[in-house]
Amino acid sequence: MATDLSPSAAISCQNVWQVFGAKAPERLAEALASTGGDARRAAALLRAAGLIVAVQDVTFDVREGEVFVIMGLSGSGKSTLIRTLSRLIDGTAGRISIDGEDILAADPQRLIALRRDKLGMVFQHFGLFPHMTVTDNVSFPLKMQGKPAAERRTRALEVLELVGLKGREGAYPRQLSGGQRQRVGIARSLAVNPDLWFLDEPFSALDPLIKRQLQDEFLRLQADLKKTAVFITHDIDEAMKIADRIAILRDGMVVQIGTPEEILLNPVDDYVREFTRDVPKGRHAHVGSIMETPETLPRMPDDPKLQEGMTIDAALAACMALYQPVPVWASNGKMAGVVHPRDLAGALTADTP
Amino acid sequence: MLRTLPPARLAAVLTLACGAICLMLAPVAPWVTKWPAGWTLPATEWIGAIVTAGLEAVKPAARLMADLLDYPMGWATWALTALPYPATIAATVALGLYLGGWRMASGGLAGLGFVLASGYWQPGMNTLALVVVSVPLALFAGAAIGIAAYERPRLRRPVQTCLDVMQTVPTFAYLTPLLVLFGFGPVVGLIASAIYAAPPMARNVLLGLERVEPDIREAAVMAGTTRRQQLFLIELPAAKRQIMVGVNQTIMAALSMVIIAAVIGGFDDIGWAVLLTMRKADFGNSLISGMVIVIFAVVIDRLSAALADDRPGTRLYGAFIILLAGFALSFLVGGLLPPAGDLALFNGLAAATDARLGAFTAAYGPALDALRNGAMFYGLLPLRIGLDQAVLPMTWGVQWTPLASAALFAAAGLAAAGLLWRGRFGWAVALLLATGIVETGIVDLPWPFVLFAAGAMGWVGGGPRLAGFALAMLMPILLMGLWAPAMLSLYLSGAAVIACALVGGALGLASAASPALWRVVLPVCDFLQTIPMFVFLIPVLMFFQIGEFSAFLAICAYAVVPMIRYTRHGLVSTPDEMIEAAVASGATGWQTFREVRAPYAVPQILLGLNQTILYAFSMLVIAALIGTTDLGQQIYLALGQGDVGLGLAAGAAMVMLALLADRLLQAFAAAQKAALGL
Ligand SMILES: Nc1ncnc2c1ncn2[C@@H]1O[C@H](COP(=O)(O)OP(=O)(O)OP(=O)(O)O)[C@@H](O)[C@H]1O
Ligand SMILES: [Mg+2]
Repeated sequence: MATDLSPSAAISCQNVWQVFGAKAPERLAEALASTGGDARRAAALLRAAGLIVAVQDVTFDVREGEVFVIMGLSGSGKSTLIRTLSRLIDGTAGRISIDGEDILAADPQRLIALRRDKLGMVFQHFGLFPHMTVTDNVSFPLKMQGKPAAERRTRALEVLELVGLKGREGAYPRQLSGGQRQRVGIARSLAVNPDLWFLDEPFSALDPLIKRQLQDEFLRLQADLKKTAVFITHDIDEAMKIADRIAILRDGMVVQIGTPEEILLNPVDDYVREFTRDVPKGRHAHVGSIMETPETLPRMPDDPKLQEGMTIDAALAACMALYQPVPVWASNGKMAGVVHPRDLAGALTADTP
Repeated sequence: MLRTLPPARLAAVLTLACGAICLMLAPVAPWVTKWPAGWTLPATEWIGAIVTAGLEAVKPAARLMADLLDYPMGWATWALTALPYPATIAATVALGLYLGGWRMASGGLAGLGFVLASGYWQPGMNTLALVVVSVPLALFAGAAIGIAAYERPRLRRPVQTCLDVMQTVPTFAYLTPLLVLFGFGPVVGLIASAIYAAPPMARNVLLGLERVEPDIREAAVMAGTTRRQQLFLIELPAAKRQIMVGVNQTIMAALSMVIIAAVIGGFDDIGWAVLLTMRKADFGNSLISGMVIVIFAVVIDRLSAALADDRPGTRLYGAFIILLAGFALSFLVGGLLPPAGDLALFNGLAAATDARLGAFTAAYGPALDALRNGAMFYGLLPLRIGLDQAVLPMTWGVQWTPLASAALFAAAGLAAAGLLWRGRFGWAVALLLATGIVETGIVDLPWPFVLFAAGAMGWVGGGPRLAGFALAMLMPILLMGLWAPAMLSLYLSGAAVIACALVGGALGLASAASPALWRVVLPVCDFLQTIPMFVFLIPVLMFFQIGEFSAFLAICAYAVVPMIRYTRHGLVSTPDEMIEAAVASGATGWQTFREVRAPYAVPQILLGLNQTILYAFSMLVIAALIGTTDLGQQIYLALGQGDVGLGLAAGAAMVMLALLADRLLQAFAAAQKAALGL
């Protein structure tokens, strides 16, 4: 992990703590001093003293244009972390920078400017303004930017169409279904075309069908717009589907950060393993993640034409009856590596204790 | 052995012991029953002197303000009285149509039509003019307080406490210092009503803002709002419903207070008309003028309540046409219409009512008297001065003797022993205490006993803090020399609260059992809560003349509503699963009621009782107008004499009693809630 705030990262946070309770900053500093900077013991001390440690010594970078998913059980501190990143609440300790700018040092004026121009957020409980129509809700951030009414309206209709809410522009939030409300929230966060997109369980309140549809839409949007997104979910399938990288949170602590495949194939502990237990690994992991690039190529009598990006399931299906190593091809037609069919099957069962 | 008792029982036993000791001491040590005059501090004079000095200092500013307020008041009065009545009525009907549809429009038409026909149009409009000016003041002040408390969380607790106190300060107590400040005149009523009506607005604004969902707040922040934009563009509009509830309550409070302020006189408003006709025993007219007040209250209440529903008005056209027609009518044929004051269509009716009433009281006088005397002699008086003084040959036919006291206590002791033997500790103590109180009378209760009992209740309900609070509330009353009237207040409100608890509890219970009954009781409750306190005096006076019994009835009528509402609500809001679990365990209807519904409803019922007590206290002061001798009467007297010290001291004593009752009951309700795991 990075030890310096890396300037190239879209978001970089370092040793971020969020402790709730009276005099939290002082008591956190005391606890850290008394344990010689050992975060675990300091957190235990604070918890024993009746404080709530919601985020504990979190450090990670989010790269430009990536979808960074934060996962964890209910109460593990996901919402608190994202609210600390967006400075809706002030962190108890740590450093956070957005595009290289230390946002903990930003004054209120600067924060307002940042939020108007750069940040967008979708809320777990929608956060729609009950006294405004759908259109007014969506164009509110534009109004704050000082855009003229006509332009606001055009843009609002544009993003509403994008999320499939055409025709409901004049409705009030209370007249919409849960899924429609969430889509208004998504549209609102997109209206100003933010560079950084925070999404707090945007699809949790939805039924499976709409959820899948919106996930696909999210991926489509993301492919088009290439925003940097911090996406919270407690649904591992969703995380697998949309994440570039996943951070797994437990009791406020990051236990593992990695690509979906790393998380899937090399869980660091039982907590993570438990998370991924029911995930059909063959569907999500790719051949590229388990192939080898040996110095000397083994004898390879067969070539089932495995591609680097193939899922393990597909690869297995292609070499059902093969018992010798086979080549793996990159998309440019060159050989990328070698994989033994035995390892393909083994990857699926590797973490079953 | 005492050490092994649970604290509540220990407190009960000690309270009993204290009572017994006081009873025994009473013959030899008179200071036990009567706080010696020598121990009294001249607190009322001090308060008077200090406050008067303070008031004198701000008097020039106050007078300036009064002069300034004269302008808007003048305009409002002019607008409402100079405007021909067809235009006023049309405006009301149009507003009713716009806000609530044809039903409300026709209600407004009928109501104002009645006011016009009654001949009380002019005084009615004078009253409305005061309301029209005081309501914006109250709304503005209340909203400012609510927003300030929301913005500065540190202020919330002090502001809440302040609002609590302001709402328990008896209405007349505001008036005396205001009189000194502003001099006689309608401005006093105006300011008093603005002060009295601001707290509900402040409370509801704060509540509404606090209830805005955090996600909505944060969504506004993330859109890049400044703090002010967030408040005015998002939070206040999102809290609109609650704020509109506050607007409604504020308007109703302002109307009520404007009418009460009529007691200082000097302004030809509708409250004054009621007061005057009541004093002349011209009940036909006081009934009609009282009706005018009720109509104002109901119409204004419905209109302002409709504001809270955020259905957009759709009948704009119709409303506009009606408004136009009204104005056209008044300007085209305005000269031909009879002046509003001449339209006393109900003069005959008033006279007839008077005659009917005369005939009725002549026919049923003995029965009414018997009812009143029975309640007085066998109910209220023993509670007030005790059986030892209330039982006289003239009323009961026998003379109370010390022997009778001894026999009563012996019988109570035996019964208590029996209860104790069956394990009913609480009932045994309650029986003994009740016997002691009825024998001695609330007014003659030894003050050490009252202090001890209040302290013990505080201890049991809320620990040493609440016990200390109880003593801190009672000691000043003793020291100020207001103990006797305070005990009278306690007795009168206590009697009314007991009656309300019995009647209201029974009605609430019956309404919970029978939805059909509730459909009848609900509108009555709504109605009783809408009409200004003043109006309650009219019917009781008509039938029972001036006196304590009338006051008692008026208090009961006003204070019974919360008891009914909360009892019913507590009983019907038992979660379905609990009922189903009981039924599934084979409980009969009655068993379900006794074992599940009733215990579950207790916290709600205690809160209802709490409200009833507060209502009773606020009515106590109004009841001073029809003959009581308690703190309320002291406040009323102080108003008449411009005695700021007495007015404030008696008002403060009343606030302290009310706060004490409030905190004790809240503590017990909280304990019960905790015991139920709610
Ligand atoms: N303002 C606060 N004051 C005190 N404790 C808080 C506060 N906000 C959150 N917490 C606590 O911090 C912990 C983490 O809460 P958080 O809302 O971040 O969980 P979450 O991971 O988002 O859960 P969910 O999936 O249910 O949304 C919880 O124990 C919560 O009770
Ligand atoms: Mg959350």
